[in-house]
Amino acid sequence: MKNHIILIQVILLIFFTSLAEAEDFLGAPIIPYKETVQKTYKRLKLLTNLSHDDAVAFYRDAFKDEMDIKYRDWKNATYIEDDGNREWHSVTISKETKGGTTVTITKDSWTWIFGMLTFRFLGVFIVLSVLFMGMKISTAIILKVVGKINGENV
Amino acid sequence: MNINEIKDLILGILQTTGVFNFEWKLVIMWGIGLLFIYLAVAKEYEPLLLLPIGFGIFIVNFPLVPLMDFSEDHVPQLIQFFYHYGLEWEIIPCVIFLGLGAMTDFGPLIANPKTLLIGAGAQLGVFVTFTGTVLAGFTLKEAASVGIIGGADGPTTIYLTQHLAPQLLGPNALAAYSYMAMVPLIQPPIMRLMTTQKERRIRMKQLRNVSKREKILFPLISVSIIALLVPAVTPLMGMFMLGNLMKETGVVERLTDTAQGALMNIVTIFLGISVGATMQADKFLSYKPLFIFGLGLIDFAICTAGGIVTVKVMNLFLKEKINPLIGSAGVSAVPMCARVSQSTGMKYDKSNYLLMYAMGPNLAGVIGTAAAAGMFIAMFN
Repeated sequence: MKNHIILIQVILLIFFTSLAEAEDFLGAPIIPYKETVQKTYKRLKLLTNLSHDDAVAFYRDAFKDEMDIKYRDWKNATYIEDDGNREWHSVTISKETKGGTTVTITKDSWTWIFGMLTFRFLGVFIVLSVLFMGMKISTAIILKVVGKINGENV
Repeated sequence: MNINEIKDLILGILQTTGVFNFEWKLVIMWGIGLLFIYLAVAKEYEPLLLLPIGFGIFIVNFPLVPLMDFSEDHVPQLIQFFYHYGLEWEIIPCVIFLGLGAMTDFGPLIANPKTLLIGAGAQLGVFVTFTGTVLAGFTLKEAASVGIIGGADGPTTIYLTQHLAPQLLGPNALAAYSYMAMVPLIQPPIMRLMTTQKERRIRMKQLRNVSKREKILFPLISVSIIALLVPAVTPLMGMFMLGNLMKETGVVERLTDTAQGALMNIVTIFLGISVGATMQADKFLSYKPLFIFGLGLIDFAICTAGGIVTVKVMNLFLKEKINPLIGSAGVSAVPMCARVSQSTGMKYDKSNYLLMYAMGPNLAGVIGTAAAAGMFIAMFN
């Protein structure tokens, strides 16, 4: 009887472990959670009992062998971003602890890529425009100062 | 010693030669290496770079040559040593920028600062290619490093690639330098396609003289703004502006001479041979490097078009029109692109000298490519 119980326990353990391993959203592992807040085809928001640090530790462990994953420590959340070409784009772990920690997984999207590229391209214009302004101002100042000095010399 | 032992002995000796470790792939790489040497020697396309690159490709693709690996004691072999300390440590691109700065006269850019915007517009291809590369299955970091090829700035390409996707350093650097060398072939058809006869004949207002004070102040202002806005490329732009400051002040002539002469030549040798040596057959003959080569060409063409379109847009608002042929010089291969603007312009008006006008966007292109690289580094770091 004892052997049977152990056998059943082992089978159950394997079954649930395999289930846990299989549970993911767009390839990103799902943390043990108590409630699904929102689920669409491109976004999953969960509420977990784990603390923020434990949730981050869960994902750090899950992604420890993965390449091109970046962690950003924000004021209100830890943001895990995929810089590879996975189906998911980000995992955001909130730092607010009211009622638990929220974990949001989002789908990789072309909107993000296009938006990011457009802003960066505009950024290049801004950098060079600021330089343009800097040059205009400094040139104006130099010409004025040189004009004054020349005027005094005359 | 019997006959079998003698056979084994001879076989053992032969196994240590390259002949017994020969692969057909190596012949293709020899062909590529020799093509680069041919372009450098016979056609004189960027010989300072293509010659050492070609030789690097050629020499490293012989079996068992102790050049790009590590010894059993983990000591880098000859070219691996140059590669590791020069490129992986990102020293060579920065030293080259020091030399470039010491050779550069920013006068045309200071005299006509609105051409800075052309340098920004010419980065269009960098961002468009990024999208294409992601679609082809590259990671975002790889896509950024491939995209920057269109800027046609070798040191910046190496700098960014080393930061984001060091595994692509060889193909990216090779593509960037190859397309820099092929500017006179690639750009003129695009320039003709995108401009009218009338536009090609536009004469621009004589550039004003730029004082020494302005030239001394320019590197200080530029480096301050770039360090504030895109700090990631301060090593590159800092060295660039240091070289320029040395030149413009005129108080450190010995240093300026060294930076633009001996030092530049030394690092160019190490750069060329190291870049070439990264093209080992087993790494190069796969779909990614070949794809990069193909995409680099499109990238470069879009960057050229981006510069021309920017001039056309600016002309809508300007009283004194800009000749759109100088738009292609927004790509940062200095001074090759400016020379192409000049030669193309002279085909339509023999007395219209565009070289000095084109130097403005050409130098702006260097800064623009560095800014784009800085944007990418900031995005991923």
